[in-house]
Amino acid sequence: MFLSLAIVAQIIVAVLLIIALMVGNAVVMVYMERKVAGFIQRRPGPYEVGPYGTLQAICDSMKLLAKQLYRPGNVDLILYYLAPILAFFPVLLLYLPIPFGPYLTALPVGDGVILILAFAGLGVLSNLLAGWSSNNKYSLLGAARAVSQTVAYEIPMILALLAVVFLSGSTDLKVVTDQQGPWPWQWNIVLQPLAFFIYLVSLVGETNRAPFDLPEAESELAAGFHTEYSGMGFALFFLSEYANMLLVSFVAAVFFLGGYKGPIADGFWWIFIKAYALMFFMVWIRWTFPRVRFDQLLNINWKWLLPLGLFNLWLTAAVIKVAF
Amino acid sequence: MNDVLDQFFHSLGHLFDEAETCLTPYLPGQEFVALLAFAFYVLLIVSGGLVAVLARNLVRATLGLIVTFFGVAGMYLLLASPFLALMQLLIYVGAVCVLIFFAIMLTKNTSDGDEAKFPKISNLILAFLAALGPLVVAGPLIYQGTKAITTRKPVDSGANLGEGLLSIDLLPFELISIVLLVAMAGAVFLAYRPGSKEGSAAL
Repeated sequence: MFLSLAIVAQIIVAVLLIIALMVGNAVVMVYMERKVAGFIQRRPGPYEVGPYGTLQAICDSMKLLAKQLYRPGNVDLILYYLAPILAFFPVLLLYLPIPFGPYLTALPVGDGVILILAFAGLGVLSNLLAGWSSNNKYSLLGAARAVSQTVAYEIPMILALLAVVFLSGSTDLKVVTDQQGPWPWQWNIVLQPLAFFIYLVSLVGETNRAPFDLPEAESELAAGFHTEYSGMGFALFFLSEYANMLLVSFVAAVFFLGGYKGPIADGFWWIFIKAYALMFFMVWIRWTFPRVRFDQLLNINWKWLLPLGLFNLWLTAAVIKVAF
Repeated sequence: MNDVLDQFFHSLGHLFDEAETCLTPYLPGQEFVALLAFAFYVLLIVSGGLVAVLARNLVRATLGLIVTFFGVAGMYLLLASPFLALMQLLIYVGAVCVLIFFAIMLTKNTSDGDEAKFPKISNLILAFLAALGPLVVAGPLIYQGTKAITTRKPVDSGANLGEGLLSIDLLPFELISIVLLVAMAGAVFLAYRPGSKEGSAAL
């Protein structure tokens, strides 16, 4: 009975740290998002609460916590409450295999990237259930969009990651990191620029961020799949959206940008710097690009990213076959 | 082709040689934990299956199906195939179930559809017989052939699995693709209405 107690303890500590990371990340991201949006639109953004408005995000979350949970009539009770929970909890699992440092992995899994892709599918499911159980046409339309979009963008994403897996010969995130060097020219992005580009586009599509935020397009769908949620229900969706963004950024950092490796000293600081640079990039394009139309969104994926991804995969395989 | 068959038989013989060496010694208590996990996964499979069959609402039924898939994934974990378990989640939960949801959303979902009524007794009996079919076919095999299953080297990585699919397991692999082809042809047959102007008006 004592064989796995150490592992269980390790996982519990890791999950607690991951929850802290998710909540902290949401607070930081809300502030960053509003501040960056402000600067891009030539206005100051939040500046009243605390120095430079830094306490604004804390106040927002307090407001969300204290808000009444309003539930409209005619919803499917079980699924309505299940959906936000299902959005939040699988994300915890997704952080387990990520190597934050040379020895800092919550649960070293041989098939780490497959674990991430497998449990990421539950995120769509929660959007879908939320939209369906709300019993409202805007929510349902948002959910239908979320599904067709996420199912579509998952494919080029997997193809891009697969190209790197071909290079390193392993689905273990630690091995993928170890095969890259500390300096930028030793990273996988140099060998796989096309895969990185495909991944970058499809991660925006996968996380439902603008310019691909059709499932929650407020100008046409009220608020999309989470129209009927208030208080903590909405907060959980929000939290998991930011957590998903951070996760795909971490995966991008591991696969293309050398993970925790960096000049001078390896460590978790490098992976955090890289991931947050990507987060900043996502916020940046959200506030500078207009939202695409839904048919455009799907066309970008099926007519461009998917063939490009397949071509890149074929090229990678051919080069590996010839060169090694 | 001969080369492939040669390799097939060669590796088959090889497997039985290796069977003794690849059994890992297990720690005390591990068996109990495994039993507990087995009971939990069986519970997931059975309860999910019951929800899938008995729910009067298609979305809830699909949710039951997802619970069942999680149970099956757990079974793969117990069989020392984490890769297969993750693939089960990736494909069945992440793709198949999501597509079923999509189909539900595209169709007219009324509260007095077929699934909301209690089925006819004759249908129930037929369904029961259909469920017995695999048991009748596979039951004796499972009962007699348990030793043959345990001599296989556990599929513990993707590389291992890919190697197997392209060498010793080539035949089952191809058979499965035929099954999928039959399923697809069946789906087209069910959805196709000859003579209807809208073509695939089944939706």
